[in-house]
Amino acid sequence: MSVHLTAEDIERFADGEAEERTIEEHLPECSRCASAVLAVMQMKRAIHEDMPRYSAPATLRARVMQTTRPRTAASWWFAAAAVIAIAVASAVLVRSRNAAMRELVDLHTTLLASANPVDVISTDRHTVKPWFEGRVPFAVPIPDLSATPFRLIGGRVVFWRRQPGAYLLLGKAAHRVSLFIFPDDVVPQSIAAPREITMEVWRSNGLAYVVVADIPAADLAPLRKAFGARI
Amino acid sequence: MNERSRGASFEEVALPLFDALYNYARWLTGDLTEAEDLVQETYLKGLKGFGSFTPGTNFRAWMYRILRNTFLTSRTGLRAVPPISIDEDPELLEQMTDEETPEWHLLQRRSGEALRQAIEGLSLPFREVLLLCDVEEMSYKEIAETLSIPVGTVTSRLMRARQKVRNALRGLK
Repeated sequence: MSVHLTAEDIERFADGEAEERTIEEHLPECSRCASAVLAVMQMKRAIHEDMPRYSAPATLRARVMQTTRPRTAASWWFAAAAVIAIAVASAVLVRSRNAAMRELVDLHTTLLASANPVDVISTDRHTVKPWFEGRVPFAVPIPDLSATPFRLIGGRVVFWRRQPGAYLLLGKAAHRVSLFIFPDDVVPQSIAAPREITMEVWRSNGLAYVVVADIPAADLAPLRKAFGARI
Repeated sequence: MNERSRGASFEEVALPLFDALYNYARWLTGDLTEAEDLVQETYLKGLKGFGSFTPGTNFRAWMYRILRNTFLTSRTGLRAVPPISIDEDPELLEQMTDEETPEWHLLQRRSGEALRQAIEGLSLPFREVLLLCDVEEMSYKEIAETLSIPVGTVTSRLMRARQKVRNALRGLK
């Protein structure tokens, strides 16, 4: 699809309100729209994380509970309440997980379309690995990929969920593959991968690896192995 | 359903919302004592009106709506709402098609203080729609129910709120 998304589509999509397949299919092909979605998502995340959250004082809670406390409780109402609470909590959790992983896909598309997708350009892991020292708060493991169909192209620092992480750009034949590396706790434990692109997550030695690529998931096996995936 | 079972059900479904409602009240009033009074009044009204709550509809939006309506009829609330309609603005949509991601990248790395000030500087209708969407993670439908406005208005208000925040961060008005 060559027509760009409207500003409204971009915002609705970033808000998780657009279900249209056409939008999902358009984004990996269009860096302009992907980067617009990314910008809205980053703003949303910044608002979510930077706005202070006020907790109610215990005295207020006690006061209110006194006025609303029942004398007896019907057990089926407890069950109903639990169902509502769980449904609300899971819906909120799923929305934020989806949005977080969606951001990485858009970052992938935006970086690949950028004139300078990487800040350190080198196929030599002994050049790329030390470049990250002092730039991200962990040692970036870069294994020897010569026995795999993948090759190193370069790297850069990316920010996601307000955390700095390492981005490695890899090649596999004509395909380009994004590998994001973050501390383990930055990446949600269960993720919802987008439908239109391959996304794989694995964890090893305190780090989480997220691969975004337009190649089948099965072809990523040598990469997982080289980076020491723990299943 | 008798009054007792009604009371039990209200507490069980309403108390998990306590912190979120208090947070919203703080944002609306900007004042600790007023926020406490507002939450207390909301729970009392909620308990009284629980019989009229329609099962199967959104309870969270219902409670937020009570809180907000209570606020709007308070002295602070009456001052907070602009006297004119804010939802017609023909110049809105054209500005937004060219997002400047690199600029936002830079802004994102700055302290959250600038962002907070930008949001605090928004008038109530824009501030609340942004907070309900991005902080409380409500869906458009829930926001529409909470604010008693159409979903289309939620969408356009959100777009304008974000544009105002971007402008404020860039030092524009």
